[in-house]
Amino acid sequence: MRFQSQRVAYPYFVVALLLFGLQMVFGLLAAAKYLGPDPLIGLLPFDVVKAIHTNLLLVWLLTGFMGATYYLVPEESRVELYSVRLAYVALALWTAMGVTAVVGYVFRWTAGNKLLEQPFPLKIVIVIVMLLFLYNIGMTIRAGGRLTTTEGVLVGGLACTALLYLPALFEFDNYTVSVFYRWWTVHLWVEGVWEMIQGALLAYLLIRLSGVDREVLEKWLYVIVGLTFISGILGTAHHYYWIGVPRYWLPIGGFFSALEPFVFFGMAMYAYYAIRRSGLGHPNRMALHWTIGSAIFSALGAGLLGLAHTWPAVNKWTHGTLITPMHGHMAFFGAYVMIVLGLITYAMPGLTGRPEDSRETTAGFWSFWLQIGGMFGMTMAFATAGITQTYLERILGIGYLDTQLKLQVHFLMLVATGVLFTAGVALYLWDFFFLAGPLAPAPARERVAPARAPAV
Amino acid sequence: MTKRAARLFFFISTLLSALIFVVLTIDSHRQFPKLTNAAAIDEQVVAGKDAWHRHNCTNCHTLLGEGAYYAPDLTKITQQRGAPYLREFLKDPSRFYSEERDGRLMPTLNLTEGEIEGLIAFLGWVSRIDTQGWPPRPILVKGSAVPGAVLGAATPGQAASQDPVELGRAVYNATPPGCAACHSVAPGVNIVGPTLAGIPATAATRIASPDYRGKAKDAAGYIRESIVDPNAHVLTGPTYAAGGRSLMPTDYGETLTPEQVDQIVAYLLTLR
Repeated sequence: MRFQSQRVAYPYFVVALLLFGLQMVFGLLAAAKYLGPDPLIGLLPFDVVKAIHTNLLLVWLLTGFMGATYYLVPEESRVELYSVRLAYVALALWTAMGVTAVVGYVFRWTAGNKLLEQPFPLKIVIVIVMLLFLYNIGMTIRAGGRLTTTEGVLVGGLACTALLYLPALFEFDNYTVSVFYRWWTVHLWVEGVWEMIQGALLAYLLIRLSGVDREVLEKWLYVIVGLTFISGILGTAHHYYWIGVPRYWLPIGGFFSALEPFVFFGMAMYAYYAIRRSGLGHPNRMALHWTIGSAIFSALGAGLLGLAHTWPAVNKWTHGTLITPMHGHMAFFGAYVMIVLGLITYAMPGLTGRPEDSRETTAGFWSFWLQIGGMFGMTMAFATAGITQTYLERILGIGYLDTQLKLQVHFLMLVATGVLFTAGVALYLWDFFFLAGPLAPAPARERVAPARAPAV
Repeated sequence: MTKRAARLFFFISTLLSALIFVVLTIDSHRQFPKLTNAAAIDEQVVAGKDAWHRHNCTNCHTLLGEGAYYAPDLTKITQQRGAPYLREFLKDPSRFYSEERDGRLMPTLNLTEGEIEGLIAFLGWVSRIDTQGWPPRPILVKGSAVPGAVLGAATPGQAASQDPVELGRAVYNATPPGCAACHSVAPGVNIVGPTLAGIPATAATRIASPDYRGKAKDAAGYIRESIVDPNAHVLTGPTYAAGGRSLMPTDYGETLTPEQVDQIVAYLLTLR
């Protein structure tokens, strides 16, 4: 860590990880409800638990992205952050928004639009926080007078995230039109601009961890992001199957989303290339685990498992079954959870002022492998349940409720592997809060770092 | 490839993709009114859509296949369950399903009359959206009906032959009218309405009973009467009727052609 203002990333990581832990509570509750009967049906019915589970994910990942950006931008632009206080204000506002949303859902205060359940006043707060964040980052880069490709792609991804949230502010009387624009936010986030963020964080971590040539990596970053948008923008069409839109979206969705795996294979090859060129010599081996893991797991979860049900002739039968959460869980974990955990793990020695190899703890390794194993098991549980559901309910025509009763064994597996995953998350939190050490105090006077540090 | 070429590739491909996407979006807007039957979106449909959001329905159910996977898809529900049934169901779901028997139960939402009417209108409008033939086979809430009932024809709604019984079987299993969604043809399997296994004999017994209020003289007449006028003779049963009125849709006399009614009768008469 070379700039004092990078320390502001730490409270962002704290909030992100606490919300991650809370997300697990609601995830386990939701999984248990699949087994039934549900003693909490009056207090916390499935819909409330599910909305909280998914909203916490979005909020903590965005918190992690913002923290990561605050850590990365000063280093890339070689200048202190424009305003540390503004970053704190934004975090306070953001956390208050997140907590209000969760409490609100419990009391049935919801917009009821999948993944965009935030009531309108909270949506406005989200927009305000994003603007504060972008202003702070923008002024920092301006002061530094230096914009690297890596941070350009990262900040570009976050700016587009804010821009694409705007359609969520509108309401439409026509449900089909409402669904149509909901995907402008949700799809273009997770299969568009968030991939820019993942690609940029991956590039940053690979540059730092393997010492590979920045010029080469940034060149390929352009190619990966270009491929992301070729496949991602028109790939939105795979959400436009069967919802009342013109027919031509079917072949467009099939063709362009079949290209999406190339993006993730591109990122996996990227990581492989970096390792081959420069080896795995970096002492922060836990950060290496998460970084390489993200490249591999996103190729499997977002790439392959997405492809598994994206073709219209397949999707006709699997649309709206448990096949979707099969893909969703592993994709989100591989592409976004792992890269944020990777960046946090990488940044910790700098933030706490401890040696680079201090993150190589037993708890850390267990956390990694329990999360990997748990998520793999959950994906398999959703997959077996989803395939069985598709066959019994959609092909044989057996009723929904009767089919669900036949899936009990898969839901048992879901709960069991979910517990493993949660244990992994708990260990990560334990490691972060109790083993990694506190944030190092700011040095008394040298807090004014040179405006321009020597090149890396 | 140089870094400059890579950057050019990024900008050109992104702009081109975005441009095509925007053009197709504009064209979609041109087609939305026809594809979604937008002229039919009245105040009640909008009120129903608002209730749909207010009660967070999409975080258990799917609609148009989108939402959560904890409860059945409702895209075509109004073609499988009539308004009288849906009204009673929305007032108190626990009257129709139980956690012990079905594994899941919908919470009672204390909906207002207006919300219930709105939701039924909204779901009715959704069921008429052009979904490009999805779902390819009806997605039923409950009941395997009968092994083979849906598998009987390659595609439900298509008869194996021109025999009236075969044509009737096809109509029976198609959605709409969705007969098979509520009535099984297996003995003892009562989904929502009573089983129709052995209906010719059952019909004869009912006509002969002193409680019978209808005008039918024979089994064929009884079945026909039950289809076009479900209230002619109302059976009591927890999911069959409320307030002395049958929960079955009352408009089959208009939505089915006389030939289709004849074919269904011919088919049901074979269920001895």
